[in-house]
Amino acid sequence: MCAAVTVEGLRKSYGAVLAVRDVSFTVASGEIFALLGPNGAGKSTTLEILEGFRRRDAGSVDVLGIDPGDRSRGRELRERIGLVLQDIAVEPYLTVRETLARNAGYYRAPRDVDEVIGLVDLAGLERRKVRTLSGGQKRRLDLALGMIGNPSLLFLDEPTTGFDPNARRSAWELIRRLRDTGTTVVLTTHYMEEAQQLADRVAIIADGRLVSEGTTASLGGRDTERARIRFAPPPDISVGELPVPARPDGDGLVTVESAEPTMTLHQLTEWALRRDCTLDQLVVERPSLEDVYLRLTRDDAAESTLEGSLR
Amino acid sequence: MSAMVWHQVRYEQLSFWRNPQSAFFTFVMPVLVITIFGALFNGGSASSYFYGVSPLRYYVATIAALSVLGSCYSQLAIVLATRRQNGILKRVRATPLPTWMYFVGLLAHCVLVSVVVAGLIVLVGRLYGVPVPDRSQWLPIVVTLLLGAASFCAIGVAVAALIRNAEAAPAVVQFVLFPLVFLSGTYMPIQSDTVNVVTGALPVRPFNDALLGAMAQGTGFAWDSLGVLALWGVLGAIVAIRRFRWDPRPE
Ligand SMILES: Nc1ncnc2c1ncn2[C@@H]1O[C@H](COP(=O)(O)OP(=O)(O)OP(=O)(O)O)[C@@H](O)[C@H]1O
Ligand SMILES: [Mg+2]
Repeated sequence: MCAAVTVEGLRKSYGAVLAVRDVSFTVASGEIFALLGPNGAGKSTTLEILEGFRRRDAGSVDVLGIDPGDRSRGRELRERIGLVLQDIAVEPYLTVRETLARNAGYYRAPRDVDEVIGLVDLAGLERRKVRTLSGGQKRRLDLALGMIGNPSLLFLDEPTTGFDPNARRSAWELIRRLRDTGTTVVLTTHYMEEAQQLADRVAIIADGRLVSEGTTASLGGRDTERARIRFAPPPDISVGELPVPARPDGDGLVTVESAEPTMTLHQLTEWALRRDCTLDQLVVERPSLEDVYLRLTRDDAAESTLEGSLR
Repeated sequence: MSAMVWHQVRYEQLSFWRNPQSAFFTFVMPVLVITIFGALFNGGSASSYFYGVSPLRYYVATIAALSVLGSCYSQLAIVLATRRQNGILKRVRATPLPTWMYFVGLLAHCVLVSVVVAGLIVLVGRLYGVPVPDRSQWLPIVVTLLLGAASFCAIGVAVAALIRNAEAAPAVVQFVLFPLVFLSGTYMPIQSDTVNVVTGALPVRPFNDALLGAMAQGTGFAWDSLGVLALWGVLGAIVAIRRFRWDPRPE
């Protein structure tokens, strides 16, 4: 698989604000790549450099074999990429269909307008003026504008913000379908479930730096971390009487961490059955993507405030 | 290429006519003004106060000029500032549509609106008995209208480039235009030589004068006035090209 996007040592500052510091990653062609990170981490800035909107201060960037900083190849680049910006931007006085038909006219080989309207679930609203659409419907029109040119690379900056749960699921379905037909997708999101559901690979940016990168399953060592088994201990049993080491959680439950959850569970349930009692509210969990995300982005923030207060 | 220009003009027209604010201020207003003036000055005879023509004949020319200001200068400054603030310009920039094509479409749209409004004003004047200009004046009239439209388009884009906040755009645009239009003789002939010297170097009065000459007095091309107007157009174009921004949040 060749790379659709290669970023190396990217830097960008706005005056005194260092928005992106030394970020490197590659996106393989045909995959969905998600950028996660707190507000102000530098996700949109990174995307806008790749899209050719902003100039970089240092580093090298390659998008479909083109340097987006090279204005002379801008048109060629824009012919092959599609994008959705973080803020909704659609003309208020055109209808849904007119908006798409107008933009379709800008590309050499656009998708069929009605097909795209169907794909983003706006069928039946073709003749509505954009200003009468709801926020989520406008966002879907924005997404439709991103794909009308039949791009081989799609940049989506928080594409499903403001979508209801059904609309979000159908947007995921759509993005997956685009990927399956060969489109590479680079997106940012604040929804962990979205990254989990969609992304082949994820990178976490905090404070302008890339702090971790990998598949959703392995990010931040998720796959090798210990599983947690939680349950309510039988009444009158103290933590020390359990067959495996456990710690109380404060909310009346106890947590057992285990590298061998099958074995540990067997020990626990056998013990409970023998004593003829139950393990109420029993669950087995792995650290979720959100746990890993919070740890990776909190570490960073905590360190800098600690440093600050120690001085 | 011309197909693409039409593509652009078509969607600009759709947006324009459906926006009650732009349709009213750029289109209905000047037609309304000339209709009212027609009722007020109907039957007035030629006087030296109106440069030797009848009052209504004078107003048909100046209000036609005003309609070009509205369709080009005001409309462009407000529309572009608003579109930039809403991120619509940035969204256009993300497509392969060339920049110049976007602007050619927009300017063609503005010129089209100007020509239609100016034509309507002449028609209203006709209904009140103002004679349609002589055939020999048609070429100077068309050239003056087109040059005025082009110059005021350039100035409009320049003002849009200088305005930071789209909410302030209508206020800024009117704040500049209203006193200038008044002092340039659009609503009444100005007798003060001092004022006339100053406004003669600004863009509105030369346009009024050139249009008055061709439409009312039948004196053909007013080369001096056209020259001043063209200079302002070039100045506007330079500012527009150097300062124009697409992004609502510049780097
Ligand atoms: N045009 C600009 N001028 C000045 N500073 C900017 C500009 N754009 C972004 N910044 C700053 O750069 C940093 C990164 O911003 P960016 O928009 O890339 O963050 P983000 O990760 O997309 O955040 P969010 O999740 O809130 O969208 C922030 O500190 C922001 O204030
Ligand atoms: Mg952002």
